[in-house]
Amino acid sequence: MNPYLPIIAIGAVGFGFAAFSVVAAAISGPRRYNRSKIDAYECGIEPTPQAAGGGRFPVKYFLTAMLFIIFDIEIVFLYPWAVSFDQLGLFGIVEMFIFIATVFIAYGYVWRRGGLEWD
Amino acid sequence: MNSLTILGLLPLIGSAALFLLPKGSDLLAKQVALGVSIVVAIAGLGMAFSFNRSATGFQFVEKHQWIPAFGINYALGVDGISLLLILLALVLTPVVIAACWHEAEGGRWSVKNFFGLILILETMIVGVFAATDIFLFYVFFEAMLIPVYFLIGGYGTGEKAAAAVKFLLYSLFGGLLMLASIIGLYVISGNQLQAPTFDVTALSQLSIDPVTQRMLFLGFFIAFAIKAPLWPFHTWLPDAARAATPGTSVLLLGVLDKVGTYGMIRFCLSLFPEASKEFGPTIIVLSLISIFYGAFLAIAQGTSSGDGNIKALISYTSISHFGFITLGIFAFTEQSHSGATLYMINHGFSTAALFLIAGWMISRRKSERISDFGGLQRVTPIMAWLFFIAGMSSLALPGLSSFVSEFLVLVGTFARYPIPAIIGTIGIIFAALYILIPVQRALHGPITPGNENLTDLTLREKVSIAPVIAVIIFFGFYPQPLLDVINPAASATLSALQITGIMGGK
Amino acid sequence: MNAPNIEYGILGPILIVLAAALIGVLIEAFVSRRYRYILQTGTAFAAVALAFLQLVLIRQTSSKAAVSSMSIDGVTIVLQGSVLIFGFLGLLLIAERGFQSFTAQAAAIPGSNEEQKALVSGLQQTEVFPLTLFAISGAMLFPAANDLLTLFVSLEVLSLPLYLMAGLSQRRRLLSQEAALKYFLLGAFSSAFFLFGSAFIYGQAGSTTFDGIRKSIVESGGSDQFLLVGLALLTVGLLFKVSAAPFHAWTPDVYQGSPTPVTAFMAAVTKVAAFGAAIRIYYFAVGGLVWSWRPILIAISIVTMAIGTVIAIAQKDIKRVLAYSAIAHSGFLLTGIIALSKDGLNATLIYLFTYGFTTIGTFAIVTLVRDSGGEVSDLNRWAGLGKRSPLVAGTFTLFLLGLAGIPLTSGFVGKFAIFTAAYKSGNISVVVAGVLASAIAAFFYIRIIVMMYFSDPVEDGTSVVIPSAMTVATIAICAVATLVMGIYPQPVISAINSLAFFAG
Repeated sequence: MNPYLPIIAIGAVGFGFAAFSVVAAAISGPRRYNRSKIDAYECGIEPTPQAAGGGRFPVKYFLTAMLFIIFDIEIVFLYPWAVSFDQLGLFGIVEMFIFIATVFIAYGYVWRRGGLEWD
Repeated sequence: MNSLTILGLLPLIGSAALFLLPKGSDLLAKQVALGVSIVVAIAGLGMAFSFNRSATGFQFVEKHQWIPAFGINYALGVDGISLLLILLALVLTPVVIAACWHEAEGGRWSVKNFFGLILILETMIVGVFAATDIFLFYVFFEAMLIPVYFLIGGYGTGEKAAAAVKFLLYSLFGGLLMLASIIGLYVISGNQLQAPTFDVTALSQLSIDPVTQRMLFLGFFIAFAIKAPLWPFHTWLPDAARAATPGTSVLLLGVLDKVGTYGMIRFCLSLFPEASKEFGPTIIVLSLISIFYGAFLAIAQGTSSGDGNIKALISYTSISHFGFITLGIFAFTEQSHSGATLYMINHGFSTAALFLIAGWMISRRKSERISDFGGLQRVTPIMAWLFFIAGMSSLALPGLSSFVSEFLVLVGTFARYPIPAIIGTIGIIFAALYILIPVQRALHGPITPGNENLTDLTLREKVSIAPVIAVIIFFGFYPQPLLDVINPAASATLSALQITGIMGGK
Repeated sequence: MNAPNIEYGILGPILIVLAAALIGVLIEAFVSRRYRYILQTGTAFAAVALAFLQLVLIRQTSSKAAVSSMSIDGVTIVLQGSVLIFGFLGLLLIAERGFQSFTAQAAAIPGSNEEQKALVSGLQQTEVFPLTLFAISGAMLFPAANDLLTLFVSLEVLSLPLYLMAGLSQRRRLLSQEAALKYFLLGAFSSAFFLFGSAFIYGQAGSTTFDGIRKSIVESGGSDQFLLVGLALLTVGLLFKVSAAPFHAWTPDVYQGSPTPVTAFMAAVTKVAAFGAAIRIYYFAVGGLVWSWRPILIAISIVTMAIGTVIAIAQKDIKRVLAYSAIAHSGFLLTGIIALSKDGLNATLIYLFTYGFTTIGTFAIVTLVRDSGGEVSDLNRWAGLGKRSPLVAGTFTLFLLGLAGIPLTSGFVGKFAIFTAAYKSGNISVVVAGVLASAIAAFFYIRIIVMMYFSDPVEDGTSVVIPSAMTVATIAICAVATLVMGIYPQPVISAINSLAFFAG
């Protein structure tokens, strides 16, 4: 069997699901129009009018975002370790703990220096 | 430790002692400097007597490994030429110290530093002439610029800082070109010998292809031509000589610049014989231009109605004299070579006498203008007479030392290049002009206002100049001792050149 | 799949410094402000000393490490040793009493009340120590990297702290922040080139390790254009780090804007690290492509020497003069890479080792000349320094002569070694250019000497502060090194010659 066949099959299933969802929603969903329906995002935060100072975000937002990314990346590195945990054995545990410890040092620094406080 | 090392080290120790003296002990500093330099001079003369005049090659040889990774040795040795040049330096240093007793007092720094720098310079000069390892030579060649730089810039007059910088940059530029050539030689020696070396004798055995040889020759030659100085590389000299104190000028023109002509003999000729022969005629033309160019500019200073400068005049005469020396070197006959080497010594003494006496005239009159010195013959007869003798030596009057050397150079050159020799002879006439005009204007004639109360030479000044005048007169009548030392070395250089044809026989 | 093996012993020097940097971060977070300075300096100096000790213990090593992503061999040992020594000297300058060069609160807006308040209260941030340690560890990793990815990571570990440190100057905050931003933007730009080049090389060679690249060049005969494109882009990234023309534009601004101790540190350490990495790449990884890269590097070397020396003449600020001098020295150092021989390798290492001492010493002296507001870097105000403080002026003269490569200083030994190597390899054009550039360079070094000795002092409050023992020690070590390695360089040369081999 052609090895690409399953990939094509998955692609087809994915496309099919998307098409089905859109069509099914259009057919079965209730139609109640109001203001929040026409907003950019139907769920989540309501976009405020213009933020003070001409639409700028406070720099703290970026700081928090950065910190989030850093700790998120940590999880990304944990995943391959989890997958090959058996083969890596003790070596993997030691290395991973060193890695986590370094990230925690950064965390401790951020915490103590007030990086997690919004104000 | 070998005698040459000790000879070089003594002034250095002396200068260290000077720097350690407390502030304000100027007189003691002068006495220490004078004492040290006299001891060194006597030691040097003593060495000269144990020099074997009949042997060829280097004597008093010593050799220690310095940087074996690069094949660099601390190697010293002297032959006839370098021995005499070292002696010239050793004799002139105490003379300068004694003659310029008060010279440093108007300087930017203390008096003891001035004499300390002079002693350091003496060490460097011994090193540069005694080095038989090219790398060591280069190190001294560059290192000696620094004391001179501070001597000119710190104790000179007028545009001293600019002159010092100009001097340093010209010399550094030449030195760096030489460095490129030295590296080239070193690499070639690594290819041809078992191990790369900087030893002059070993390097002279290399066979270098003509194109490379020409490039390497030019690197060395330009460095030496700047030092010598040869037209058109001379422009730093008048500025430096005008700004420097007379004592510094004596060491600069009388001794240091001889490194240039010495280097041409020792390195250009013996390391690159083919290229030397090839460039010989060109350099002879440059030498002739130098002879006349220096002479004309000196005459211009002498005849200029208002601002003829006596220091500039002497420096221009030196350019002319260096022209004779290079003429002799690149005429490749034994007589011209002996003459050129002798000329280096004699020029050292006659220029020293001229500069020192001019310095005394300037310090008395507080002016450097030739026109301000009218009537000195009547006011200060001894000073005037001594200046006259020094001037006569400079124009090579028979009976004074320079005559012998100039005669030998011209006769030797005539054997190979008759026309340049004849043209060079005409240069002597101009030499007469540039000496006689200032002598006539400054010394004779009516007393210029302001000169009436000038005092004649003091005892210290008389004593300090006496050896120089004695040498000028003695070797004018009896140059044989010097020639005995020079001739073997000169013929050794020429035999290395393997010149065929006319050998300017004796 | 088997678990990989990490050779902790021979990676020890790097790991010690990294661990100390992390401890530094913890100190900053959890220790009371009162004890921070003493703990930070103690940790930093102890770490560098320990790392050096470990380096001495493993000096005979010659092997690949960390799954062939690093190479701990003689070349690495020499370069890491140099980095540690210069890092130690740099730390001494940074730790100078009172922290006068550094801003109290880097985040405060220049000229704002917050800044004033932080300054007056004396609440100095001491983050600069862990940052320096991170930079040192990056600089130690950079020349040891044997893999394009490790190389890139170490480049960032080295660079990121430096971007920050450039912005910490206490005086002229705006200039300092500008320097930091410029350095960061241009550095990020060059990192992108570097990474892009790595991708091309990986695409062609099928491996990111230097051994793999080397093998693939041998097999393919080095004729593939993607490899050349990759190498060209990689070269851009590296040349930026060594500040070779035409990628040198950041150097004067960053050197001028950074706090002078940081400039000293970065001038010496970055140069060692970047040239160390470049040597491994050009000598080991892509040595087989020499006929392709050599002409380019020759051109760049000549242009770098010319730009560095000629533009330096027109500078009026001492730190900018020294920055252009650093650019010119990069040009000289490139001739050692161009040589591509054992001699060239030895010479480059010797040059780097001698240059680091001289350049740190030079900047150390710059920190001493001050007026009431701080350091005085305007050259005109250095006039008459020789009269005011002969010892400082004399030492500075020694360093300048060393940078100019005058005989009997260490600079001459390095220059002689590197030019000889280049000449021997037949690249006479760079030697001639180097000699001419040295002649031009002599002019501006001498101009400073003239300024110090032959100009009369101006009474404008410029004076030489009495430094603490740390700066004195730095200057003394650098001066002795400059002099001793100029007069008797044999021990250093033979040590480097016998160590400098790549691990197969």
